[in-house]
Amino acid sequence: HPHSRPRHPGARTMLPLLLLLLPAAHGIVELGYTPALTKSPRLEGLTTTSTFVLEQPRCVFEGYNNADIWLVVALDKAASTFNNTAGPGTPETAFQGFPDSVPAYMTLNATLANYPCPKPAGDITVLRVGSETSCAQDVARPTCNGPLPGPGPYRVKFLALEGSEPVAETAWSAPIMLRTAKSPSSISTMDSGHSAGMIALTTILSILFAILLAGLVAMLVFWGSDSCGGSSTFSKPESVTVRRYNTHHVYDQPSGRL
Amino acid sequence: MAKSDDCIHILQGLLVFGNVVIGMCGIALAAECIYFVSDPHGLHSLLKATENDDIYAAAWIGIFVGFALFALSILGIVGVIKPSRTLLLVYIILMLITFAFEMASCITAATHRDFLTPNLFLKQMLERYQKSEPANSNGNEVTKTWDKLMIQNHCCGVLGPSDWQEYTSAFRLTHSDADYPWPRKCCVVDAQGLPVNLDGCKLGVPGYYNSNGCYNAISGPVNAHVWGVAWFGFAILCWTFCVLLGTMFYWSGIEY
Repeated sequence: HPHSRPRHPGARTMLPLLLLLLPAAHGIVELGYTPALTKSPRLEGLTTTSTFVLEQPRCVFEGYNNADIWLVVALDKAASTFNNTAGPGTPETAFQGFPDSVPAYMTLNATLANYPCPKPAGDITVLRVGSETSCAQDVARPTCNGPLPGPGPYRVKFLALEGSEPVAETAWSAPIMLRTAKSPSSISTMDSGHSAGMIALTTILSILFAILLAGLVAMLVFWGSDSCGGSSTFSKPESVTVRRYNTHHVYDQPSGRL
Repeated sequence: MAKSDDCIHILQGLLVFGNVVIGMCGIALAAECIYFVSDPHGLHSLLKATENDDIYAAAWIGIFVGFALFALSILGIVGVIKPSRTLLLVYIILMLITFAFEMASCITAATHRDFLTPNLFLKQMLERYQKSEPANSNGNEVTKTWDKLMIQNHCCGVLGPSDWQEYTSAFRLTHSDADYPWPRKCCVVDAQGLPVNLDGCKLGVPGYYNSNGCYNAISGPVNAHVWGVAWFGFAILCWTFCVLLGTMFYWSGIEY
């Protein structure tokens, strides 16, 4: 049954109301949920150059037990023109044509059983958009969750389909911008100045060396001259010790001999 | 006369003491530089790839200078005790040559340390890690060294795993961003060497990947190396300067 709204007993009296709501209704319920990037825990890979990580829509699609919940990924500027009646798995919503011929694609098929409510505490419940690389070129898999082709910005929303009828949708997310990688040649390695320590070391050593060279030159120039070192000269220790010579053969004679 | 003799003896004693210290410091310098040249942290191949491995050249000079200082200190002690003008002149000239070499070593080590900035390693890593060149051993060495570094120190990239996201790299050419936001070596591994949780690692969940950069693991040993070579050498040279000045003064006072 395409309609999921319960029939009230006073359906007749609500007919004018129904008529008023008809242009907006088409049977799609606008759920007050905005998809967003995962906030906790902090993920290093929250956005990379070709993937991003969304919070799972837990406790959002309550009551839609029979619906398939799809993720619609669109370029920011194509989000407003997306037609909810576009079916998943068709060439109009195939990932392989995104973004040139396909302005928005549908992927990450799930049912309410995949998003149990309430979320168990401590579980990390995320959807990584762009994680399937094996089917990115495979046109036989139009609902591939392939890596995104550019930095975006992208907008996403969840759409619940029963059969092929859309029954509920969330709001479009805020624009999601992916990272852009720069070339390594843009890294400048030339701006390192010289540290103060190195400059001090060089200066002091140069001065010391200059003083020593000057000292050596002074030494050689004044080699042997007494002009500077006269007062502090000293001799090599003699190898011969001075003995006391007895100049006269004087022997201690007893005074009686003379 | 006795007082002048005492002065002479004091000067001789000081010079002998100074030379003993120079000899011991020379041996210490040589031993320390041998330790650095033996590359206990395995960083030589990384520095060679950045063409900035002159701090190793400075360490090699330090080895020879250390032994030269030891030999010359013995010559100096003999020349002072004898005393001999010829010996001391030879000592002074050779010491000046050694001084010049050690000065070159200190300045080289200090200068080249300033070149080893995070940006330099970042650029080298991005350009050479996992570069698929069949016959280039240079690229493989960088890859092996980085892998060893990242596994041993539990780190990733130079500043963090986001290095691989902020810049394109040789790694990115062969490994798609969705499957490999950063290399597998950045994942926390179990005893067998396999990632504990590959999805957690790819997402960047804290606890399943290494979030620190490896720059500290590189700059720590490099800084120790440079401090050991440059600043210890500088201290030895200051001491040698004093001893040489004293020797020159002593020499000019010896009478033939």
